[in-house]
Amino acid sequence: MAGRRALKAVLIDLSGTLHVEDTAVPGAQDALHCLRQASVSVKFVTNTTKESKRNLLERLQRLNFDLQEKEIFTSLSAARSLLEQKQHRPLLLVEDSALEDFTGIDTSHPNAVVVGLAPDHFNYQTLNRAFRMILDGAPLIAIHKARYYKRKDGLALGPGPFVTGLEYAAECKATVVGKPEKTFFTQVNILAFGANNSPASETFSNFLFDFFSIQALSELGCSPSEAVMIGDVSMFKVSISVQFVFADYFQLVTSMQISI
Amino acid sequence: MRSKRFAMAATGWPGFAKSLKGVILDLCGVLYDSGEGDGVAIPGSIEAVKKLKASDLQLRFCTNETQATREKFVAKLQRLGFDISVSEVFPPAPAAIAVVKQRGLRPHLLVHDGLLQEFDGVDQTNPNCVIIGDAAEHFSYQNLNEAFRVLIGLENPVLFSLGQGRYYKETDGLKLDVGAYMKALEYACDLKAEVIGKPSLTFFQSVLNDMGLKPHETLMIGDDLVNDVGGAQYCGMKGVQVRTGKYRPSDEKHPTVTADGTVDNLAQAVDMILKQRGF
Repeated sequence: MAGRRALKAVLIDLSGTLHVEDTAVPGAQDALHCLRQASVSVKFVTNTTKESKRNLLERLQRLNFDLQEKEIFTSLSAARSLLEQKQHRPLLLVEDSALEDFTGIDTSHPNAVVVGLAPDHFNYQTLNRAFRMILDGAPLIAIHKARYYKRKDGLALGPGPFVTGLEYAAECKATVVGKPEKTFFTQVNILAFGANNSPASETFSNFLFDFFSIQALSELGCSPSEAVMIGDVSMFKVSISVQFVFADYFQLVTSMQISI
Repeated sequence: MRSKRFAMAATGWPGFAKSLKGVILDLCGVLYDSGEGDGVAIPGSIEAVKKLKASDLQLRFCTNETQATREKFVAKLQRLGFDISVSEVFPPAPAAIAVVKQRGLRPHLLVHDGLLQEFDGVDQTNPNCVIIGDAAEHFSYQNLNEAFRVLIGLENPVLFSLGQGRYYKETDGLKLDVGAYMKALEYACDLKAEVIGKPSLTFFQSVLNDMGLKPHETLMIGDDLVNDVGGAQYCGMKGVQVRTGKYRPSDEKHPTVTADGTVDNLAQAVDMILKQRGF
């Protein structure tokens, strides 16, 4: 196994990897335990924008996963991270249940606009306010740009259309900080499972992460070249070649164990 | 040599005013600023319109106004003191109605309450398209969602947007225009809207046809650099921007549209035009 770089961190997707709805993925608890033994830093990543970290933690602990709140990194965490870095004071157009993850951030005299899934805030007055702020120079930060989502009463507009409208009106580009639907990597660095096995090649290469992943890793103090992301095959953009594909999560982790 | 320089000057502003046969004026931001009640006439504009009408130039008004029926907003302008009549005004709604009738479409309307009356003769049952106008406060999440659901449920969704403006100026500040919401629905439904109104070529053409004039004989004066000036230029007309209404200094350094002339307001534009023509 030549040319290996030290693996310092692992980003693990939550939904579909650790659990599916309210059921743990078989073998996932044990695999996580193995990872812990390997003294690799772990961050659990998810694109939720409605649940606070505390809610997620409770749900996962109920499924017997051993993890701490600070190891959870959501799209909201990525937004918070950017706000802290740039010392922005945000106008938070996010759901009330998401506000919890922004406690401690100064929101007085806002000079940045953060847009999440917030139908209550997507009214004419509030959007005008956001628009005027952006015209005056406030950056537009989008948690994500989903076109729509499913509600009990049918499909409903997501934040994407409103972010697009603001981008057009103010002639600006939003910074999208949330976990993308498809995580984009250049070259290979993915350990994916769920598809058929293919021979393992064993070289980790450099990879380019999206803002979300870079933020998650910076909280662990490591660079993209020292980390891997583990997730369901469907989450990775097909244009890159997948070098590792494992039948299941457990096999994947034990294989990593051997090379660490 | 001398005559060549003279000829070149005549293609620039205000020299080309000598060869004009008609002028088209935008309404909001040129004649008046909208806001509380009837809004406010822009200083000098009432007099400027009078002077144009007294001249030998043909005059029409081309607007993307969609918050009220043509009759209603012309009455408002008359109350403000403007000499203007319905037959001289070209807004998008009548054009849109003609289009849906011609194509056998039945629209779901996302427009200002004040415009609904304009669509009285139009079949709106079982809608198979959406028409979006400047709905202002009626751009609620719920109303947008309803329009979205109509479109997403159609096999061949058609979205008509009455104009595509990014924003406009009211007395209490800048406000999002129909274009922002058009883009929102385009993104949500992954489709492209058909724009009826400025800067659509057919729209400008319908005004020119009514005047019986060619584009190169006509000047458009507006506050919206892209939709008024750029749209007119694309049509072959000259376009002059006023520094009232939604004008912003950055317009004078725009990457794609350069106005043929930029003036402080309509009054100045008209004085310069008439001076060129010897008045």
